Amino acid sequence: MNGKNVAKFASIVIIIAILTYIAYFGQIFGIRIPGANDIVRGIDVDGGIQATLTGVKTDGSAPNGDELDSARQIIVRRLDGKGITDKSVTIDKAKKRIIVEIPNAGNKVTDPNATIRDAIQTAMVRFYEVDNTKRDSAGNPERIGDPFAQGEDITGARYSVDQSGQPAVSLTLGKAAGNRFADITSKIAKDSSKGISIYLDETCVETAGVEETIMSGEAEIHGGGMTASYASNLAATIRAGSLPFKLQTLSVNQISPQLGRNALDVILMAGFLAIILVWIFMLLYYRLPGLLANIALLAHTVLQILFLSWTRLTNLTLPGIAGVILTIGMGVDANIIIFERIKEELRNGKTLRAAIDVGFKRAFTAVLDANMTTLITAIFLWFFGTDTIKGFAYTLGLGVILSFLTAVFISRLLLQSISGLNFAKHHWLYGVKTVAEVKKNG
Amino acid sequence: MVDLMGKKKYFFILSAVIIIAGIVALFVNGLQLDISFQGGTVMDIPLDSTQINQIYKGQTADQVKNSIITDAEKITSDTVNKIATAQLSNTYNSKNTTQTLQVLTVKIADKQGSLNDADLANLSTALKAKFKFTQNPSISNVSPSIGSELLKSGVLALVLSSLCIVIYIWIRFRIMSGPSAGVMAVLAMIHDALIMLAVYTIFKLPVNEAFIAAVLTILGYSMNDTIIIYDRIRENSKLLRKTNISELVNKSIIQTLNRSINTVVTVLICLLSILGFSMYYNIVSIKDFILPLIVGIISGCYSSIFIASPLWVLWKESQAKKKIRSKPVKA
Repeated sequence: MNGKNVAKFASIVIIIAILTYIAYFGQIFGIRIPGANDIVRGIDVDGGIQATLTGVKTDGSAPNGDELDSARQIIVRRLDGKGITDKSVTIDKAKKRIIVEIPNAGNKVTDPNATIRDAIQTAMVRFYEVDNTKRDSAGNPERIGDPFAQGEDITGARYSVDQSGQPAVSLTLGKAAGNRFADITSKIAKDSSKGISIYLDETCVETAGVEETIMSGEAEIHGGGMTASYASNLAATIRAGSLPFKLQTLSVNQISPQLGRNALDVILMAGFLAIILVWIFMLLYYRLPGLLANIALLAHTVLQILFLSWTRLTNLTLPGIAGVILTIGMGVDANIIIFERIKEELRNGKTLRAAIDVGFKRAFTAVLDANMTTLITAIFLWFFGTDTIKGFAYTLGLGVILSFLTAVFISRLLLQSISGLNFAKHHWLYGVKTVAEVKKNG
Repeated sequence: MVDLMGKKKYFFILSAVIIIAGIVALFVNGLQLDISFQGGTVMDIPLDSTQINQIYKGQTADQVKNSIITDAEKITSDTVNKIATAQLSNTYNSKNTTQTLQVLTVKIADKQGSLNDADLANLSTALKAKFKFTQNPSISNVSPSIGSELLKSGVLALVLSSLCIVIYIWIRFRIMSGPSAGVMAVLAMIHDALIMLAVYTIFKLPVNEAFIAAVLTILGYSMNDTIIIYDRIRENSKLLRKTNISELVNKSIIQTLNRSINTVVTVLICLLSILGFSMYYNIVSIKDFILPLIVGIISGCYSSIFIASPLWVLWKESQAKKKIRSKPVKA
C-alpha cells in the first residue's frame, strides 16, 4: 500500500511542479509553451486608447448599418496609413456606434488621442481630372483644376463584375456631377495622357484611364488586375468619403503605458504577498492538510495562469488580476470547510480514513452550492460589464471552477494517498489534540 | 457555549443603525457618481521630475506643488473654460523603483459635461506645453449620455443576477431547509447590498462600475456562509430532535464558526494585501475596486451569522406559537 501511495502523491506533486515551471518560464526542455508572459494584457495594463464613436447626420438622425460600415472602413484605412497595424475597429449595430481600440503594445503611437481625432475626421472623396504626363510631389499624376465631383455628388459606389467577369467598382453620380463627368469624359476619352484620379482627403486611392464618353452618370472602374477584396474595399472607401455624417467621440479612454505598468507591478507585488500569507495561515492552522491545500492552491493559481495564456477569450485587465488574487483567497474556502469537518470527525473518534471520507463527502454539496452563486454573478458580469470588468468576470468564474477542481479533487487525492503513510497518522498533524475516548451513541 | 441568539436584538440594532445612517446620508449627500457614470473628464499625467525642476527653478518643494496645481487649474479654465480640480500624488515608478513618480490629476466633473474632441486636444496640448511631460498621460473623457447608459446597464446586471441567485436559492432551499430559509438568505443578501451602499453614501465615495461589480461579487459570495450554516442546521435538526430552535441554531453557528471566520480571513488577507499596496502607491483604479469588496466581505460574514440565522429563529418561533394557538383542543 505504502509504495502505491507514495507514487500517487509524488506524481501529482511532479505534475504541479512541471505546470508551475511552464507558467513561469513559458517553455520546458526547450519546447515553447505559452506561460504567464504570453497572456494578452488589456489596455489598462499595457497602455493604449479606446474610443466610442457615434455618427450624426446633417438632419440629426443616426446613420444606418451600411453607412457605419463605410465609416469603419475609412477609419481602418487611415490608421493603416499611420502604420498602426494592431488595432480593432468594431461596430455596435444595436447602439449604432463604432468602437476603436488601439493597444500600445506593437504600435508606436506618440499621441493616441490625436491619432483617433485624425482618424475620425469627416472624410471627403474627390474626383479629379489628371495629367498622366506630369507628376506632383507625391509622385501621382498632376491634378487639373478643381474636383469635378466630391462628397455627396457620389450617390453610389459598389462592388460589381465587368463584362469579362473581372472584379470592378460601379459608380453612380448625382445629376450635376454626372453632367460634369460627361463633359470631361467626352474630352479625354481615348486620350492616354489624361485620366481621372480619386482622392480620399489628400491621398490618391485610384487613377484610371477613360475608355469612352459616359453620359449616364453611371461609371465602372475595372481592369488593372483588381482583386475582389481590393474592389470592394475601394467601393467602401468611396462610399465612406461621401458620407453625409460627422463622427464624434462619445467617450475616450486613454491609458498611459507608464501608469499601467506601475499598477501592474504594484498588484503583482500584492498578489505574491497575498499567496504567501495565505500559505502561512493554512500551514499554521491546518498543519498537514494545510500543506496539501497549499499545494492544491498553487495548482489552482498556475492553472488559472495557463488558462488565461491558452484560451485568450479576454484580455487580462487590472480587475482581472484582482480576480485571480481574490479567488486565491476564496479557493481555500472549500478546503477549510472540508478540513474543519475532518477535525470534528476525528474529535468524535472516527478513524483517520473514515474522517477524511466523511469530511469530503459531507462538505461536497455545501461547496457546490457556495460556488454556484458566485458563478452566477460572474456570468452576469461577463455579459453586462465593460472590457475591464469582463476581465474580472472571467478570472472570477474561472477561479471558482478551478478551485472546485483543485480544492476538492486534487487535495483529496493528496490527502488520501498521504494519510496511508505511517508518519501521517498522528492526529497532531491534523490539529486535533486528543481523540475522544467515548464514541457517540456508543 | 456562548448564547448568540439571546443577543440577537443587538445585532439587528447595529445593522439597522448603519443602514438608516446610509439612507439619511443618501438624502443629505445624494449618491456621488464617478465620472464614468455621470460624464466628465479626468487626466492623469506622469510628470517628468527634471522638467518640473527646470520649470519651477528656485522654489521650495511645497511651492512647486502649489504652483503646479494652480497652473493646471488655470490652464484648464483658460483653454476650455471649465472649472477643474488638480491634485498631485506620488505613485510607484516601474522605471526607477528607488524613486516615486509624481502624477498630476486634472478632473473636470460636477455635471459640466465632457469635453468635445477639439477641446480635449487643445487641453492636452496646453498642459503638455506647460509641464513638458514625456510620457503619454491617461485620459478618460466620458459624455453624460454614455455614462448614464453604463449606469443603467450596471443596475440591470445587479437586478437580473440578484433574481437568478434568488431563484437558485429558492430551488436549493426548498429541498434543504424549506423556503423560509431562502427568504432569510435573500434578506441577508439585501442587507449586504444596503451596508455597502451606506458606506458609500456616508463617506461620500463616488460610485462607479467597479462598485457595482463588487456588490455583485459580494451578493454571490456572501451566500456561501449562509448556505454553510443552514446546511449545518438541517443536519443537526435530524440529530437533535428534542432541542429548541434557538439552541439548535446557536449550536450550528458555533460549530461552523471556525470555518466562517477562517474563510473570511483568507479572503481578507488577499484583499488587504492589494488595498495596502494600492493605497501606499496611490493606484486609484485598484483601490476603488478593492475597498467595496472588503466592506462587502465583512458585511457578508456578519449577516450570515448575526442576521440570517437569528431571523430564521424568529420566523420559526412565531410559526411554532401560531401552531400551538391554532391547535384544536382535544377533549
